[in-house]
Amino acid sequence: MNLEKITFNDDEKDVLQELINIAYGNATAIVADILDAFASLSVPIIEVMTINELLFKFNNFKHSSYFFSTQAFIGDFSGECAFFINEESANNLAKHLDIDNVADLDDAILELTNILTSSLTMRLAQEMHTEVTYSLPNISKIPLSELSNSKTLQYYSQVIVIDTKLNFKEQHIDGQIFILTKDGSMQWLKKQLNIILKSLI
Amino acid sequence: MAQETAKHNFEISDITQKIIANIDSGVLVLDDELNIHSFNKWLELHTSLKEEKVLNKKINDLFNNINVKILTRKIKTALKIQTPTYYTSNTSKYLIPIQNNQIGTSKYSFMQQDVSIIPLCDVKKLVALIITNKTNMANTHALLKENIVVVEKLHNEVIKEREIIDRRVLLVKINKELIITDASKAYLKLSNYTKDQLLGKSFFSFKKYNFSKKLKEEIIHHIKTQSLFKFEYKTIIKNAEELWFKVTLVPEYDINDKHIGFLLFKNNITASKELQTHQEQVILNSRFTAMEEMINMIAHQWRQPLSQMSSIFINIKLKKDLGTLDAQYLDNAHNDIYNTIQYLSTLIDDFRGYFNEDEYITEVAFHNIFEKSKIFIQSNQKIDKITYIQNIDKDLKISTYKNKLIHVIVNIFKNSIDAFKDKKIKNKKITINATKENNYILIHIIDNAGGIKKDIIKKVFEPYFSTKSKNRTGLGLYMSKKIVQENLNGTISVTSNNENTDLLIKLPLQL
Repeated sequence: MNLEKITFNDDEKDVLQELINIAYGNATAIVADILDAFASLSVPIIEVMTINELLFKFNNFKHSSYFFSTQAFIGDFSGECAFFINEESANNLAKHLDIDNVADLDDAILELTNILTSSLTMRLAQEMHTEVTYSLPNISKIPLSELSNSKTLQYYSQVIVIDTKLNFKEQHIDGQIFILTKDGSMQWLKKQLNIILKSLI
Repeated sequence: MAQETAKHNFEISDITQKIIANIDSGVLVLDDELNIHSFNKWLELHTSLKEEKVLNKKINDLFNNINVKILTRKIKTALKIQTPTYYTSNTSKYLIPIQNNQIGTSKYSFMQQDVSIIPLCDVKKLVALIITNKTNMANTHALLKENIVVVEKLHNEVIKEREIIDRRVLLVKINKELIITDASKAYLKLSNYTKDQLLGKSFFSFKKYNFSKKLKEEIIHHIKTQSLFKFEYKTIIKNAEELWFKVTLVPEYDINDKHIGFLLFKNNITASKELQTHQEQVILNSRFTAMEEMINMIAHQWRQPLSQMSSIFINIKLKKDLGTLDAQYLDNAHNDIYNTIQYLSTLIDDFRGYFNEDEYITEVAFHNIFEKSKIFIQSNQKIDKITYIQNIDKDLKISTYKNKLIHVIVNIFKNSIDAFKDKKIKNKKITINATKENNYILIHIIDNAGGIKKDIIKKVFEPYFSTKSKNRTGLGLYMSKKIVQENLNGTISVTSNNENTDLLIKLPLQL
């Protein structure tokens, strides 16, 4: 675990924001096409934070009934996507996809997680001239209150959190996605951002 | 060059075919209309369907459990985003029904599957489905889930029991440095202290415990040797109330068997201590009463011999004054005085023995015990005109605390004498029958004083129970029962009818 604090200067942040905007534009189009519904993704907020700060952010979801799914992406740029969707939105998603049993509802949430993770990270990786592969998505059964004990989270010291909100206005589906990247990837990302910066000069 | 490239591609293709044929996963190629384009050996073996029989057939026609809508959507998604989509065994269980042939305790009849749908050709709309057996993992998950439920249940029970212990058990914890580290709610409630007032205090320096030097040394010894120790002590709680505790000191160990301190389980014995003090007072009262009666008896017994000796002395003086005193008279007078003094001395010994606490077990003929007992109630015998009838074998002997047994018999006699008072009964009699039965002696003391009423017969052995005059203490039969049970290792019981009361004492011949 690398405890050295990694920071991004303003130029690096600008490039990263730009790359993410492209990826999110792509994701919005794919999600809308596949699910046959108009989706909007809010402008992503990029923050570097510690795990404790992240858990504090997740704390907001403890107070209501949420589904919490994750999917890891692996490569030079690796990490995990965490997707929160509340019960009402999940039911609306099920209705939209003509799903009528709980197992299929879980499957639909995983499918949405997969679509979001793939469409976001694949494009981001392409922009940074690398490739990523994916693990199976997973619906976390651990209560959010016990999230701080999660082994996976203990592997991180600090994370880049790319936080955005997904909204299908007509279908009343809201979700929140966090792209979390591990320490090694942050070093790699910083390096790639600087390569892109140099190519722009 | 082109030939080499073609050769290389052929070789790679051959290798890939071999891998697909032998890989421990199902590999299936579908188009977006769900037609089968490839069906590997693993699938052939697990489904008993040959590839040539399934090619170009729709998968949902072969396996009718498949949800066409979901599978079609996943294929289209994979082709659209050009990354895999998935079924997971956690949520979807399986795509292709394959009987689980595992010998063992699998929870599933069908193989649990993870399925990755990988985009192959966007033009031909082909995807590959990689099917992985996840039954073992699913079994582990299911088992874990079941055990989590059991563990949660046990955990809740432990919490509940801990709460009950906390509320009901008087418990104080100390660490190895003898600092108080915890106290149960029950103890805090009883002692009226808060945790803040107790925790962090040294066990010995907490002044309210007030141990004696000897007890403190004993406690320290058991703490050093980490051994169990039981002791009693008196303490003053916050509202200045005195409490007695019986304490069990138990060494405490952690899960690695490392000694971490001590548990002090306390039992509030204040009520039983008060009862004990009360009983001691009862016994003392009884002794005082008995001594008072005894002094009266001694006075009574001595009066006649003293008056007899006084007459002898007066006659000696008269005969001397008249000049008629001769040697023969003096010898006779000397013998009479000597015998009387001997009698008085024996009386003193008998009375002293009656109160002797430190007597030894002696063998004695039972009729002697009866005779000695009668001495103590002689005065009543004459006044009340009671006839004593004894049916005692002269050879019947008993090894016991003689004086204690006399004490019991005298108490019973007195009880009978009291019962005769205020009743006009002709031929008052007390009968004592003593017989040997196996290794016991059975002593029946029967009076004809009119019996005891049924509603009170159960209470006759209780302290302070008396149906007689206010001068009686009501302790006689209570003390008798206590002596018989605690000192003489016997039993005592009572039966009664309208005429007679029968006290039965059963004692071992050899104590």
